[in-house]
Amino acid sequence: MTDKQSLFEFKDIHVAVEDKEVVSGVSLTIAPGEIHAIMGPNGSGKSSLSNALMGHPDYAITKGEAYLDGRNILDMSADQRSRAGLFLAFQYPLAIPGVSVANFMRAALKSHRGKDANMSDFRKLFKAEMKALSVDESFATRYLNDGFSGGEKKRIEILQLSMLQPKMALLDETDSGLDIDALKTVSEGINRFHSDANGILLVTHYQRLLNYVKPQHVHVMMHGKFVKHGGPELALKLEELGYEWVAQELAEKARV
Amino acid sequence: MNNPTVNKTENRDYLIPEMAPELERGPRWLRDVRRRSREAFNSAPVPHRGLHLWRYTDPMTFLVDRSQVSDTDYGENFGAVEKIVREHVEHGNLAGVVTDLAGREIGFHGTEELCARGAVVTKLSEAATEHPELVEKYLYQLVNSACGKFEALNGALWNDGIFIYIPDGLVVEKPLHLLRESGLSGSAQYPRLLIVVGKNAELSVIDEYGGGSLDESQPSNTNSAVEIFGLADSRVRYVSLQRQAPGMHGYMTHRARIEQGATMLTVPLAFGGAVSKQNFGVILNGRHSESSMFGMLFGSGYQRFDNHTLHHHVSGETTSNIDFKVVLRDKATSAYTGLIRIENDARTCEAYQENRNLLLNSGTRAETIPELEILNEDVRCSHGATLGPIDPLSIFYLLSRGIDEAEAVRMIVSGFVIPTLQQVPKNLRDRIGSFVAQRLEGN
Repeated sequence: MTDKQSLFEFKDIHVAVEDKEVVSGVSLTIAPGEIHAIMGPNGSGKSSLSNALMGHPDYAITKGEAYLDGRNILDMSADQRSRAGLFLAFQYPLAIPGVSVANFMRAALKSHRGKDANMSDFRKLFKAEMKALSVDESFATRYLNDGFSGGEKKRIEILQLSMLQPKMALLDETDSGLDIDALKTVSEGINRFHSDANGILLVTHYQRLLNYVKPQHVHVMMHGKFVKHGGPELALKLEELGYEWVAQELAEKARV
Repeated sequence: MNNPTVNKTENRDYLIPEMAPELERGPRWLRDVRRRSREAFNSAPVPHRGLHLWRYTDPMTFLVDRSQVSDTDYGENFGAVEKIVREHVEHGNLAGVVTDLAGREIGFHGTEELCARGAVVTKLSEAATEHPELVEKYLYQLVNSACGKFEALNGALWNDGIFIYIPDGLVVEKPLHLLRESGLSGSAQYPRLLIVVGKNAELSVIDEYGGGSLDESQPSNTNSAVEIFGLADSRVRYVSLQRQAPGMHGYMTHRARIEQGATMLTVPLAFGGAVSKQNFGVILNGRHSESSMFGMLFGSGYQRFDNHTLHHHVSGETTSNIDFKVVLRDKATSAYTGLIRIENDARTCEAYQENRNLLLNSGTRAETIPELEILNEDVRCSHGATLGPIDPLSIFYLLSRGIDEAEAVRMIVSGFVIPTLQQVPKNLRDRIGSFVAQRLEGN
């Protein structure tokens, strides 16, 4: 066990896609109430890591451990991980034709609570959350992500986050494809969700989301490994100098 | 291809004898057609397995040895019908129920009001004598011995059928429900339906086929014919629901013809039977006529489905659309052949066709064969087909929200067939939804 209280913790995680290793031994501990960010250039393995932790069928965890609230999640199927309190907001949410947003949400809530939510309670909650995220009510009966714009899909992901109230949220490139207004709305949604009891892991290429959702810890990932850890100032430095700067620093270290 | 010839080894006991009692039913003109149909059936070769539309089903499946046909065991299945009828009539959301027991006994329940408004809902045998001006004009116009051997078989041997006539301008708000129940093992039946919907009239029909042999080793046989005429500016919805027992060999030919400004919605739904070969066709015979078909079938176990659709654009400025969904599990197979034919004179037509197949496990097999016969270039036409398992990433998305795998599959399959279910009346939609759920659970 680590010295601080752990909500979500993974150790020495290795991830392979079709036998090619894309994440090579990363570890992190997130305490309740903390916001962490993993930043890295494209192809650094950060999305692979979050997908693998959720149980994506294409990403195999070949080595390592992961615990949520002290429970080993790697023994669990993806739906069990979700019910245990893990959530992944997808970078590219899939369309599910014929399944309305409302029915999907109801089924998801039912699986979490073990019983059907009272219809009028559900409607009230659902409407309020839609309003808070500036999602038009007509989306309730539309098919999940079917014909939605990039920004609409991301709002619906955050809508799911706020409805399901997970303990630990992995947000994969939630800022990509958002214009500035949508970015604000989505960030507000994330901040509303955040509490002393839950944890957030932001996975992002750019710093701009971090202007709105403030992490206490920033981890830089390159070539499947964490190469640098720091506070919010690290994100700003990356914004200014780019990932090249970290790469050079690494190269210099290697020479020493 | 080799010259298709009669199968030398075939059993000839299926031939219709000259003295078959069915041939004597009806007025003279009808008896003449029956006899000509008999001759056509007896002389037509059994379709060769290499022939178009017979590649996926052995025609012998639908030939019945007359000496072995049992006309007795009908009672058991029919008990259930009464219960369904009571429920339907008591619900009050139907324009009436017509029961058809093995193509022999036709009963009417709650159709009086519709008839009082000028409609005719009666036995086809009675209509042939009482409304010869309608029946002689329309019967056999679309489904007859020119269609093939099995259409000739029904044409000769139908015992009794259902006749529905909606006069010009009459709008029937509620659906009319037809309940056809087949007999048990060894039975053979030849149901027949004729519908004429007058100018600017509106009708919605649910044509439900149930019953049949429960035992696959001792099958029962149904060969049904449906003819529908939509006169100018009429609006017709025809829902065919095949939920027959596991030992049924079913053959069906449906043809509809619609005139100027008429719209036709055809919804073929199939769940039952051991072998089910169904052919749905709409002839667009007048300008601005529009036909849509939304079909679905769900096969499980060793069920075999062989479906054909036809959209025949005889007139220009006509529009057709087909969305045919197939879901298969276990070892079930499906072949779908969809023909769009647009005549040379039929200019500025639009025709679309889509066939999607969801294969829930690897033992299933689906074929999709789009056919286009387009004789002029002034048309917009497209077709598409997909075939494969549920996308594992769709499943993962639902799993990632806590929904378990069985429920995720149920939601995705239900979503897959939703466009079809939305075309049927609400109360039927719930029933179909439960059929889908039952099939997914393996029942």
